[in-house]
Amino acid sequence: MSETKIPPVIRLKDLKKRFGIGDAENFALNGIDLTIKKGEFVAIMGPSGCGKTTLLNILGLLDQSIDGDYELDGQPVVSISKRRQARIRSRQIGFIFQNFNLVSRLNVIENVALPLIYKGITRTKRLIIASDILRNFHLNEREYYMPHQLSGGQIQRVAIARALVNEPSIILADEPTGNLDSRSSHVIMEELSDLHKRGNTIIMVTHNPRLTTYASRVITMTDGKIETDTKTTILKRKTSKAKHSPNPRHHNKRASKSRGNKK
Amino acid sequence: MRFLLINHVQNAHQSLKNSRIRSALTMLGIAIGVASVTTILALSGGASKIVSDQVNSLGGNIAVIRPGVTDQSMININSQIQPNHNYATSTLTENDILSIKDTPHIQAVAPIMVLSGSIKADSMAPIGSSIVASTPQLADISDLKLSQGQFLDDSVNQNTAVIGTQLSINVFGTELSLGKTITIRGQSFVIIGVLKTTNNPINYNSIDFDNAVIINFAYGKTLNQKVTQIQQINIKADSITNLSQIIIDINKSLLKNHAGEKDFSVLTGDQIAQPTSQLFYAIAGAMTTIAAVSLVVGGIGIMNIMLVTVAERTREIGIRKALGASNSDIMSQFLIESLSLSIGGGVIGYIIGYLLAFGTSTFLTFDPIINWQIAVVAIIISAVMGTLFGLYPAIRAARKDPIESLHQYD
Repeated sequence: MSETKIPPVIRLKDLKKRFGIGDAENFALNGIDLTIKKGEFVAIMGPSGCGKTTLLNILGLLDQSIDGDYELDGQPVVSISKRRQARIRSRQIGFIFQNFNLVSRLNVIENVALPLIYKGITRTKRLIIASDILRNFHLNEREYYMPHQLSGGQIQRVAIARALVNEPSIILADEPTGNLDSRSSHVIMEELSDLHKRGNTIIMVTHNPRLTTYASRVITMTDGKIETDTKTTILKRKTSKAKHSPNPRHHNKRASKSRGNKK
Repeated sequence: MRFLLINHVQNAHQSLKNSRIRSALTMLGIAIGVASVTTILALSGGASKIVSDQVNSLGGNIAVIRPGVTDQSMININSQIQPNHNYATSTLTENDILSIKDTPHIQAVAPIMVLSGSIKADSMAPIGSSIVASTPQLADISDLKLSQGQFLDDSVNQNTAVIGTQLSINVFGTELSLGKTITIRGQSFVIIGVLKTTNNPINYNSIDFDNAVIINFAYGKTLNQKVTQIQQINIKADSITNLSQIIIDINKSLLKNHAGEKDFSVLTGDQIAQPTSQLFYAIAGAMTTIAAVSLVVGGIGIMNIMLVTVAERTREIGIRKALGASNSDIMSQFLIESLSLSIGGGVIGYIIGYLLAFGTSTFLTFDPIINWQIAVVAIIISAVMGTLFGLYPAIRAARKDPIESLHQYD
């Protein structure tokens, strides 16, 4: 039970995200309760339009207009200034996008070095760090290629290298293998599970059920709500409660209580 | 933060390099504006420097008395575009000259009377040549040097004249005109001296001595139907320290002569140069207004291009924000890009401006002035333009929503 003593990395309570107003009002997320602890590898599954990507954007502090509570490292996000949020994105969060999102006018090494700019690292140091990380991804011979000169698998490896260059503690991956063949997917997933083993928290959105085998916890979503959660389901089974529709609040209470004790 | 600034500069450099033609065209607008400002400032600075240099080189103990009260305002510019030879009647009289001569500490007095009339020898003198009647002391006060012969003095005949080099060439076809005869207003004069080339048509006497013939003051009066028509009286004090006392004395005695009417002005130092430099400042002011218009147009060009750049890079903005760029990071990135456009244009404009100024000065008698003030003005103008017109696109970029930006296709 020692793991519960540290505040969870992410804690969501009745999180809602509304689009439109009045009659056109529509909830992309409709009451999400979720706690993710450090070192978890969470896979979020669900049909298109169920709010997976919206959830990921909110977790990554890109979307601030939310209802409900979001605590990051025990601190409510609403109380963090925009500038500090940008800093958190820079130092603690690594994004891997579905469509890679490399800056097309910059070459590979500059793309990888991009996050380091906002940490205030000098150009030479940036390039050294970026070069080091590219070597880990066996891309050091492609450093000065432009993104359009690379294959899909290589581009995604560059994108992952970029997400990791700041050594973030949380990695948010939005369908990291979405556009790749199964062999490239496998390589990418090996990388991610390697990162997980090194103690990073990984939250991955995916369509592909086979990829969930790499994850330590699988969440399925429908219509802006969490439908199943392997972790709470197991807990529930242990506490022999109802079969479906997990209630993460149970888990949350425990987490917050232990945090309170610590304080 | 310092590194970030350097990075923004590197980034701006790179993105401008990627779209060379577009950047060059955008810079052109600012460059033209700054070039015209630089040209104007360099030339007008050079022109007014000439006059003040003259006054300084004469030792600073020179004063000039002009008829009428000198109007210091800009409205008077039109009358000063023509050299002021054509006063209907001058308020200065021979009596005034005598009173001035009696003032203590006066070293030299030279009244100047510019006559209109024809100058003829082997050929007619071109329009713009002047007949100047003055006393021998003019050579001392206005520092006129001779290449041949002698200047007028009290011992020479009345019908002798000293001629400027250019006029000599114009009427005799040679600058060696010593002893030749010239006809001025129908009277014959013998050339007893040829002036050295002065090559400054802009001076406080408003006379281009290269293009003038100087005759005796008394004889000039005879030529002019015995009427004195004094455009200006130049005086020289025996030392600078006595100059202010002299001015007070002259003002007093002239006021008495003129029955208490203040219809003359005694000018010293920079005041002498003022009508000339005022003229140039007025022209410079008008030209600067035109330059300002081209600068504004150039600035709008920058804003336009920056808005396009921001729209093109919406996705990049989204990526950068997701990777940890704050709003102010994005804003300064685009602001520095527009600044480098405008300052780049400014530097190019500064260089073009000086090329233009030196090109033009080959047709003029003075050189453009080179000083740090003009460089600073050029840089400040372009920096202000870059900030002013780059601010709105930069703010727009900074306010972009990261999620929407990420959805935009490249």
